[in-house]
Amino acid sequence: MTLNEMITSSGEWLRGTGPESEIVISSRARLARNITGLHFITKMEPSERATCEEMIQRRILEAKIAQPGFYIPLHKADPMDRKFLVERHLISKEHEDSQHPRGVYIGGNEAVAIMVNEEDHIRLQVMQSGFQLQEAWRLCNQIDDELEERLDYAFSPQLGYLTACPTNVGTGLRVSVMLHLPALVLTRHIEKVFQAVSKINLAVRGLYGEGTEASGHFYQISNQVTLGRNENEIVQNVEHVIPTIARYEHNARQTLLAKDRKRLEDRVWRAYGMLKYAQLLPSDEAMMLLSAVRMGVHLGLLKDLSLRAVNELFIFIQPAHLQKLTGRALEPVDRDVRRAEYVRTKLGQCKQ
Amino acid sequence: MGMKCDVENCDNEATVHLTEIREGKKHEMHLCERCAAEKGLPGKAHFSISDLLAGIASQAQAQAQKGRRGKEAVCPACGTSLSQFQSSGRFGCAECYTAFKDDVMGLAEKIHDSSQHVGKAPKRVSSDVSLQKEIRQLQVELKRAIRREDYEKAAAMRDQIKHLEENLKAGPPEMPQPAEDKPGETPAGPGGHAKKPEGGEKK
Repeated sequence: MTLNEMITSSGEWLRGTGPESEIVISSRARLARNITGLHFITKMEPSERATCEEMIQRRILEAKIAQPGFYIPLHKADPMDRKFLVERHLISKEHEDSQHPRGVYIGGNEAVAIMVNEEDHIRLQVMQSGFQLQEAWRLCNQIDDELEERLDYAFSPQLGYLTACPTNVGTGLRVSVMLHLPALVLTRHIEKVFQAVSKINLAVRGLYGEGTEASGHFYQISNQVTLGRNENEIVQNVEHVIPTIARYEHNARQTLLAKDRKRLEDRVWRAYGMLKYAQLLPSDEAMMLLSAVRMGVHLGLLKDLSLRAVNELFIFIQPAHLQKLTGRALEPVDRDVRRAEYVRTKLGQCKQ
Repeated sequence: MGMKCDVENCDNEATVHLTEIREGKKHEMHLCERCAAEKGLPGKAHFSISDLLAGIASQAQAQAQKGRRGKEAVCPACGTSLSQFQSSGRFGCAECYTAFKDDVMGLAEKIHDSSQHVGKAPKRVSSDVSLQKEIRQLQVELKRAIRREDYEKAAAMRDQIKHLEENLKAGPPEMPQPAEDKPGETPAGPGGHAKKPEGGEKK
C-alpha cells in the first residue's frame, strides 16, 4: 500500500461497522513517548531531529509490528499529501504544518498510525471502527510493547512516561470516541451530554474543527487526566459514559420520529435531494446535509445507502481528498463544483 | 437556526463547540470555523494550560528575585527556563521534570489531581519501580519506628533501605537490554546520546 493507493480505498476505522456504529464512528487510543537521553523536539538542533527521525523510523520498521504498513517521511512529502493525511485522521494538524524532519508510519489498513517527531518523539495511535475502545487500547499497548523492546523510553517511577507537555505525562494515554449526535443537537439536548461528561473530567470537542472547513454534528469525547490512574481505568472512564450518550441520541432520534415524523422526513429527504442535485457544494453545507442523510440511513428513511458509504463521503469531500481524486490543485470554487459532482456520482451509484 | 459564534461582531453560525473543564468548572465556547481557526482551535488538547502556567510564572519571578543576581531557574540539561516553559507549555527535555520538580508536582496535582504514576512501565524499569515502591514503603516505616523510639528496628530498616538503593543504582542484573548487546544497536543511537545523562557537555 502506498499513499496514492489510499485515495481509492478507505481505512479500517471508516467501515461503519462495530458496536453502536450508527452513533459511534470510531474509537481511538493514543500514546505519547519520548526517547531517553534525547532532548524533546522543540529543543533539538535540526541535525538532531534528522538523526532522531531516521533512528525511530528504522526501529519501527525493524520491529515488524503485526500491522504491516509503510513509512512516509513527511518533510519530503507533497503538502497536499500531508493535508490528505490530516483529513484521514492519520496525522495531526501540527504535524502537517511543522517544518523539521518528521514522519508517520501507517499500518493495518490505517488502523495504526505512528507519528515520529511530532510534539513528542513518538505518538502512537490505533483507531477502530465503532465502539471498540478496549480493542483499540489492546492493540496500542501491544505495539507499544513491541517498540519498547527497541527503544529506550524516558520514564520516571514517580511521573511515568515523560512528555513534552505535562498534560500528557504519566500514562501518555489519550483515548477518544468519535460520536455522531445530530438528534441531540436538533432537540437541543447536547448540553446535557456536556454536563454529564464534564462531571467526570472528560473533554468534548467538535470533530472537524481542526483547522479548516466543516462540521457535521460530530463530537469527540476524550480523557483529560493521564496521571494517577492506570491505563485500564482511563479507558473504562471514557468507555463508561458512551452507552449513556448513545442511548440519549437513540431516544432523541426516536422522539423526533414519533413527535414530528414529517418534519424529520422532510429534513432528511431535502438533504438527500440537495446532495443529489446540487451543482455547487461548499464543504460546510455538504457536511450538514450528510449529517441529516446519515441519520436518515440509520432510521431506515433512506434505504439502499450504507453507513459506510456516508462515512466515506464525509472524508472524501474534504479539500485534499477532492484535489487528489482530481489529480491537481483546485481553487475553492472549483472544489465546490468538484465536490457536488463527486457526491452526485456517489449517490447515483446507490440506487434509490 | 443554530447558535451564533461567540466572537463579537461575528454573525456566522457556531460550528465548533469547545468544552473545557478547568478546576472542576465547565467553560464553553461556540465559534464559527473561521474564528476557531484564528484562535487555533480546537486541534490539540491544550486545555487552558496557560491559566495553570500563569501561577507558575509568578513563582518563577519570585524565585528569580530571591535567587542570587536575579538568575532564574534553568534546566541544566537543555537550558529551558521556567518562564520559557510558562510561555510555551512545553518542556525541553526529560530532565526538566527533575529541574523544576516542585513546580511540576504542583502542576501535576492541578491538571491530573495526582502526582504519582500508577500505570504501565517499560519492562526495563518495572523492576526498578517495584524496588522504589519498596524503598518508599520502608521509609514510611522507618519514620514510624523513629517516632516510636524503636531505634533497633529503625537501624535495621535504614540498612535495608541502603541495600535496596545500592541495588537500584547497580541496575537489575537479570535485565539485559537486548538492543544494546549488539554493536550499532544502541537504542537511542544518534549522536551517541543514548546513555549520556542530559547535561554537562551540552550547551
